[in-house]
Amino acid sequence: MKKAQEHTAPKKYGMVIDLDKCTGCGACMAACMAENNVPFREDETDKNLSITWLRVYKLTNGKKFPNADVCYLPRPCMHCEGHHGHSPCVSVCPATATDYSYDTGIVSQIYTRCFGCRYCMAACPYHVRYFNWWDPVWPEGMEKMLSPNVSVRTRGVVEKCSFCFHRYQIAMEKVRYEGRAELAEDEYQTACTQACPANAITFGDLNNHDHAVYKLKTHPDAFRLLERLGTNPKVYYISSREWVRRQGDNYLENEGKVVAKAH
Amino acid sequence: MNIARRSFLAFLIGGAAGTALSPLPWKLTDDLSIWTQTWPWTPVPPDGEYSYVNSVCTLCPGGCGITVRKVDNRAVKIEGMAGHPVNDGGICILGASGLQLLYGPRRVKAPMRRVGERGEGKWETISWDEAIAAAAEKLEGIRSAGNPQGVACMVGDRYGTVPSLFERFMTAYGSPNFMSDAAIEDSYRITLNLMHGKNAIPGFDAGNADFVVSFGSGVIEGWGSPVRMFLAHGKWKDENKTLVQVEPRLSNTAAKADKWVAVQPGTEAVLALSMAYVIIKENLYDKSFVAENAAAFEDWRDDEGKTYPGFKTFVLNGFSPADASKVTGVDPSLIVSLARSFAGAEKPLALCGRGKGNTPGSLHEFMAVHALNGLVGAINRPGGVWAIDVPDYVTWPKPGLDEAARAGLEKPRVDGADGGAYPYTESIISGFADGVNSGSAGYGVEALLVSGANPLYTLRDAQAVRKAFDSIGFVVSFSSYMDETAAQADLILPNHTYLERRQDVPAPFGLNMPVIGMSRPVVPPQFDTRQVGDSLMGIARKMGGSVGDAFGWESYEACLKETMGAAWETLEKDGILVKADYAPEGWGEAFNTPSKKFQFFTGAYRHGENKDLMSQMKIEGEAADFPLILIPYDSMRLASGPVADTPFMAKTIEEDVLIHDDVYVQVNPATAASLNLREGKVAELTTPVGKARVRVHLSEGIGEGVIALPTGLGHWANSKYIAGKGVNVNRLMSPVADPVSGLDAAWGIRAKLARA
Amino acid sequence: MDTALIPEGRKRCPLWQFVLFIAVVGAVLLWGVYAMILCWLKGLNQTNMNNAYGFALWIWADLAVIALGGGAFFSGFLKYIIGKDELKNLINYAVIIGFICYSSALLILAIDIGQPLRGWFIFWHANVHSMLTEVAFCLSCYFAVLTIEFIPLILENRQIDKVRFFHNLSHNMHHIMAVFAATGAFLSFFHQGSLGGVAGVLFARPFGFREGVLIWPWTFFLFTWSAAACGPCFTILITKITEKVTRKKLVKDNVIELLAKISGWMLLTYIVAKIIDTWYWAVVTAPEAGFTMMDFYSNNPLYGLWILFLEIVLGGIVPALILITPAGRKNKATLLLATVLAVIGVCVNRWVMVLQVLAVPVMPFESWFMYAPSWQEVATTILPLAYGAILIAIAHRYLPIFPQEPELNPVEQQAG
Repeated sequence: MKKAQEHTAPKKYGMVIDLDKCTGCGACMAACMAENNVPFREDETDKNLSITWLRVYKLTNGKKFPNADVCYLPRPCMHCEGHHGHSPCVSVCPATATDYSYDTGIVSQIYTRCFGCRYCMAACPYHVRYFNWWDPVWPEGMEKMLSPNVSVRTRGVVEKCSFCFHRYQIAMEKVRYEGRAELAEDEYQTACTQACPANAITFGDLNNHDHAVYKLKTHPDAFRLLERLGTNPKVYYISSREWVRRQGDNYLENEGKVVAKAH
Repeated sequence: MNIARRSFLAFLIGGAAGTALSPLPWKLTDDLSIWTQTWPWTPVPPDGEYSYVNSVCTLCPGGCGITVRKVDNRAVKIEGMAGHPVNDGGICILGASGLQLLYGPRRVKAPMRRVGERGEGKWETISWDEAIAAAAEKLEGIRSAGNPQGVACMVGDRYGTVPSLFERFMTAYGSPNFMSDAAIEDSYRITLNLMHGKNAIPGFDAGNADFVVSFGSGVIEGWGSPVRMFLAHGKWKDENKTLVQVEPRLSNTAAKADKWVAVQPGTEAVLALSMAYVIIKENLYDKSFVAENAAAFEDWRDDEGKTYPGFKTFVLNGFSPADASKVTGVDPSLIVSLARSFAGAEKPLALCGRGKGNTPGSLHEFMAVHALNGLVGAINRPGGVWAIDVPDYVTWPKPGLDEAARAGLEKPRVDGADGGAYPYTESIISGFADGVNSGSAGYGVEALLVSGANPLYTLRDAQAVRKAFDSIGFVVSFSSYMDETAAQADLILPNHTYLERRQDVPAPFGLNMPVIGMSRPVVPPQFDTRQVGDSLMGIARKMGGSVGDAFGWESYEACLKETMGAAWETLEKDGILVKADYAPEGWGEAFNTPSKKFQFFTGAYRHGENKDLMSQMKIEGEAADFPLILIPYDSMRLASGPVADTPFMAKTIEEDVLIHDDVYVQVNPATAASLNLREGKVAELTTPVGKARVRVHLSEGIGEGVIALPTGLGHWANSKYIAGKGVNVNRLMSPVADPVSGLDAAWGIRAKLARA
Repeated sequence: MDTALIPEGRKRCPLWQFVLFIAVVGAVLLWGVYAMILCWLKGLNQTNMNNAYGFALWIWADLAVIALGGGAFFSGFLKYIIGKDELKNLINYAVIIGFICYSSALLILAIDIGQPLRGWFIFWHANVHSMLTEVAFCLSCYFAVLTIEFIPLILENRQIDKVRFFHNLSHNMHHIMAVFAATGAFLSFFHQGSLGGVAGVLFARPFGFREGVLIWPWTFFLFTWSAAACGPCFTILITKITEKVTRKKLVKDNVIELLAKISGWMLLTYIVAKIIDTWYWAVVTAPEAGFTMMDFYSNNPLYGLWILFLEIVLGGIVPALILITPAGRKNKATLLLATVLAVIGVCVNRWVMVLQVLAVPVMPFESWFMYAPSWQEVATTILPLAYGAILIAIAHRYLPIFPQEPELNPVEQQAG
């Protein structure tokens, strides 16, 4: 059994989000918050102070009525691989509170290690990292819905999407217990993927030919956010609309149509 | 002196060195890291045994299956139930955050009686016996004073055992004033009544349609059973099907649609009829369906020999694309191409009912859109509209009536839903306030029972509704939460929440198969609450007589079990009863109209033929005083029904919707420029019925002269996470009675906007 | 009253004046302390920082004071390593200013982190790849060095010096000071650089990111260089201000001019390097990430090309030219102007490299993140200034900081 584990190929968990299907309904956000014990406050309208591990951005095409168009873009942590695990945030953390796992490709965050210098937040161009400016407070009785799978964070530390890593751990425990070598695709899915009522999110091992994400990431309309910065993110997006794909990255004026690259 | 100083220094240095070498600093440092990780005020969720309970969500009429994850006795997460026929594992944002209602800060924890002024928030907790006795005594008093009709009742859903118990109570008690929350379902039901001759609700085989034209329906914004529509939408994308959205504003559905037809607000029916014009003119309609299964397409004659124009004549005489273009603002060539694509599709489907469908809407619009479906034969076939019989499993014998009940039931309804004016409509909740305030029924309303509804928030023209409430001496709320209506009540008999009670959930709106769900206690009741059915039966029994006799069941659960009969076991086991092999009725049984055929609407009305079928639905206000048109818009992230946003949902309200406590009104930049308003500026929004402070948000998603506000904001009685934020758009709008159904058909209201 | 404590042969203002000054500045200090305590007790929600703007006013102040405190290491480097002996007349003051700057920097960091009680994790769980780890280690070590350099100065107080042990200690410390100065210079070169690296390594933040050699981005070297150039300017500026306040000459002109000249040439070479760096970044680095230079200087209410002009021309070229010109540095007014401009220049540079980095939108569908500090931030940022003023006042009053002072200001027949 131990041997089988050692031969388990390294995984690279990632996500493909179909923006054509995404309705911007926000169910993924709520599912994420409920799954991960995300705190809430009375006024959450300043989005720069609001903790939403998965934030759904609204993109507009900038055209006039009635040619205006909007598109929603859910943005979890990109779990950047950078060059060989050199993701923008991991290398800057002074206290090794965030780490890139070569086994899963997941960028972790150790809340009890973090002392809140926020350097990782400055490093991340996707704003996936959130600082606990306040002590989390649950109105009396509501702490009953807190899940024991995810530790509650305290004031002064940074938190972010973990691709529901605790689900991976729970699934792996089962796999080990049953003496199996590999985790099946549906045994480990993130809360947002599971909740998405539009089936817009697909999650799996980008290295595994049998997983849906493996094929989807090569979709002709697939792209990643800010790819040219070298972050090498593991979240892919699909949009049939050129203007949406173009907003996935920065382009100089003379640069032509955005055609997706094969990965 | 020197020596003393030296020894002091030696002591100091020695002490410092000693302390540094001792375990103390290391221990302290270690403790520090532990302290800072476990502050006593940061909860540590206890671990325990994990279990999963399947149930049905009843937060909206969607009827999704849910799987609740539990740790010991705590519910920690709600997920969509995999394999459920409605939502297959998906869940909406409200459903996913439902535990925040269960464990939320605004639960009513025990029966309460008002002690301060109404709405002052001063309550005393009383026992259930006292509460039941208080209600029974008051109701008995009104009844014995000869005014049983002066008691009204509002419920949220129309079908199922609990609404039926209330209806039964009102009958036995002797009041005609039983009302249910109105929505597009009611308009569709009347449409099917008139055009199919069936007491049915529509089922949409949306997933199998290949060319969908939605007349303002928020297909991905909560219309129908929301998650089911999301799944259908995803399927359309996968299979390259087409969605065309006809709507004045760039809603999410419009943005996701393959084509957004920006129509002038309120003119959707004209566009539908103009499409019919093209389809008829170009002979593109389903000739076999129209010839064999439809009536009143051609001009027709009634039994007395009087001739009426058929649908064809009606449409061809006034709805040419050129004419329609002037009204709708849609280019004639677009109307033509849209009609051709629609008629040319294999499985076209037209949908109706704006946004989430919370406003019943104009009946002529529903009938126009349904006529489009009829023209292309999209009736009772895959990918089309199916007429599904209304849930009929509640088959209790009629209650025995005493003299008082019989007399009371003879009286006219307060909401005007009877008599000659609106013969097709059961109740008109939007007409209630006007009826009370004008005293049109000829008697006063002395008491009101409210269950599963929040009329003080959801009904339009809040001032009139409030006035009506203020005039009613005794308001009983059965709400689980301190919502706006409960806050104004005199007595609260709190119901269990949907996660604590057993209750039948009849077919979700729009599902094209008959389904009964069963929600069940996921966790034991958290507080001293009671299933509303039991509360009601308790009141009835306390009153005794024929009212008490009408409720022979031992308990609500016994009633439920008896009502469900053979289905009980399956419902207990699976939580759902599905007729999976259900197929729409064959043409022989499909239509129960006088002609036994599909009735195009000129032949549909069996009363009031003189009504102007295609009159434009006028909204309140004059253009001279109110140059703009305000339309409400719905969003999945804003619960706009009786239940308000949860804290998680409030977190997701977008930055262009709300900032701190101010709501943004969407304004076209050109309109804003003409009013000298800039992005983010505070403005005063005035309508004929109210005014509010708003902030301006420039949006190219809305045309000139039209402004839009979101629904679901402006709560005042709820938890601090949503109360006091933004404006309740229902407060700024007034209901407009549809000439045929009498239901609220207001799609907007005239407004003006000025710098504040 | 306190004459017994005042160094021999030096005249000081009356005690009441001194006390009044301390009281006034002390009030400001207390305001800052109050804000600081608020931040510690209530948390960083007291600031106007947010998740998009995780570094703010005081981090800029932190970087700025470290750059300005660079006068200490660079004067030390010049005196002890290069052998510019004249600088001994200024080195004490440079050390005190450095001490103030660095202790302030550490205090700011202690306020800035979300979990101050476990700030030591940076050492315990150190990630050697992080520029901030490098900063923390070098900063703490160099602060220790500065403290060691400061101690003999304190020991020179007339009363303390009377104690034999302290007298000897002071004497011995002076002897080995070169070693510490060298160590300090080395540490300082590193942490000034790693502070530059903080923004320079952010490869996903196109405004801050710079290419470089090995693991060090160009900003690493530019920061060290600019600190070496502008730190001494700040030392000169503070010395001039002290002379103005105490109404006496404390350092001879030749000393000041020597430092000014070196500073000028450093500044000139720095600014040439900075211009090359900016140009390369604007035409190569940024466009590779899809940005034109103007993307960083338009569509927002604050950041425009003026900031480049202020930093490079007014804060770099102009003071450099003044300082390398003998006439320029001999003229009191132009010398003062040049030091002020150089200080502004380096402060603007630090602002740009910390705060503008965060203000620039990176995802195309975002807009600029603007920020204004809360009063707590302002107070906490002013706190080091007040603290510095008080420490300088006390040090100047009771310690013989300026060796040339008695010579320049002979006292008739005052005795201790």
